[in-house]
Amino acid sequence: MKAAHFEHHEPSTVDEAVTLLADLDDPTILAGGQSLVPTMRFRLSQPDDVVDINGIDSLDYLEEDGDHLRLGALVRHADVEESALVDENYGSFADAAPLIGDPQIRNQGTVVGSVTQADPKGDWGSVLLAHDGEVVARGPDGERTIPADELFLFPYETDLQPGELVTELRVPVSDANEGSSYHKLKRKVGDYAMAAVAARIALDGETITDAGVALTGVDITNIPVPDATDHLVGEVPSGELFKRAGELAAEASNPEGDEHGSAAYKENMVRVLTQRALADAVERARGEGPAGSYGTDQLTVGD
Amino acid sequence: MTEKDVTMTVNGTERELSVEPRRLLVHAIREDLNLTGTHIGCDTGNCGACTVYKDGQAVKSCLQFAVQADGSEITTVEGMEELPEAGMGDSDLHPIQEGFKQMHGLQCGFCTPGMIMASKALLEANDDPTDEEIRVDISGNLCRCTGYQNIVKSVQYASDVLNDREPPDSPVEHEDASLETAADGGETATDGGCNCNDTDLTMDYPTGGENR
Repeated sequence: MKAAHFEHHEPSTVDEAVTLLADLDDPTILAGGQSLVPTMRFRLSQPDDVVDINGIDSLDYLEEDGDHLRLGALVRHADVEESALVDENYGSFADAAPLIGDPQIRNQGTVVGSVTQADPKGDWGSVLLAHDGEVVARGPDGERTIPADELFLFPYETDLQPGELVTELRVPVSDANEGSSYHKLKRKVGDYAMAAVAARIALDGETITDAGVALTGVDITNIPVPDATDHLVGEVPSGELFKRAGELAAEASNPEGDEHGSAAYKENMVRVLTQRALADAVERARGEGPAGSYGTDQLTVGD
Repeated sequence: MTEKDVTMTVNGTERELSVEPRRLLVHAIREDLNLTGTHIGCDTGNCGACTVYKDGQAVKSCLQFAVQADGSEITTVEGMEELPEAGMGDSDLHPIQEGFKQMHGLQCGFCTPGMIMASKALLEANDDPTDEEIRVDISGNLCRCTGYQNIVKSVQYASDVLNDREPPDSPVEHEDASLETAADGGETATDGGCNCNDTDLTMDYPTGGENR
């Protein structure tokens, strides 16, 4: 099926894009397009105007400054997958990227596009939440930052206002004493998560000084689990500690049963995946060398 | 709605098109440029039959609009034989194409153009992949015939050619194949040459009762 007619706008700067978004009547932003294009083709979305931001070169960066790991709006999933910086100390990003879609999709789809689409089964939202990250939005009234835990409101609905463009996603810098991971349960290669968990642990010696746990696909949005964080901080990592954190995550989840599994099954998987994700996060926080060399390889396919 | 002028280099030739913004890249390639080797399978972005090699990456041409390809360089399956690596093996074909032919990497052939372009992207980045790396890299391409085993072998064949290694003999009989082999994975045929089942074609089979 063909998409409905639309005008294609190609701004080359953020300012131009923001002006266009303010002037046009209910425009849609096109970045990677791996969800938007099929949505338009099935006419679930029929925008009169599409603002294509792919020509805004200044939005294509993945870098660390003193305080944050920063991903511009044009960073593709594949860029994260191939980034040595990410591999070094951002295990959750390194885990999640290759588990999204397939290689062709990852070459095009963007991290920011995925987050702003706010699919409750989207992977990046949980990674962002577990890292206490935020997004930076530019609108007609200037720039503002939205913390991850205020961003997701309903399925496909965020706190973003009409006319706003997310230019950047960022998380606090992860140092050598911090580790994170992402564990995803899916039926087959390239599928959405039935359930998934992002976890982050920061250590001072053997004491947990900071932590984050967030869940994918088991509520109407990606959700953080503050109860698990509270339970972990100040304690020494142990199997018992993570077991309880897993139970707290399962209690916080609110999955719906479907053809892939009952609600009880998914809740149990949240418990199990939380324990695994925390174990990987701690191993990476303690270990030296790239985060990618620790933890479970979830990519194994075939025999 | 206004049409847009788009210029893209397809298989080494610069092409100029005027397209509606809603026109998908795959439709521009197939219908405006008449390059119908690029297939449309699922129409939803799942099957990978429409995969082309665009600016150094494999992309699904049904998941982007043609206007997004303005200024880009695209290779489709029709351009494989024109690439510098073509002819490195035993034929004029690109080693990947030759691999699919020799290793029986296709049956109906519908997924093959997409498989070949996904494999090209893989071998461009890593010319000596493991079986597992091949499987990960073609995970965006569906094949309903082969069960993927021979596709993996086909890509390995291309990798052998690109690395100056002797590729394996074809498991299938070709006119130009000197070794007669069985089609079940490269085992040499047993004495008598017939490795088929035990059905005796000369036997008289019952034809049923007279009332039939």
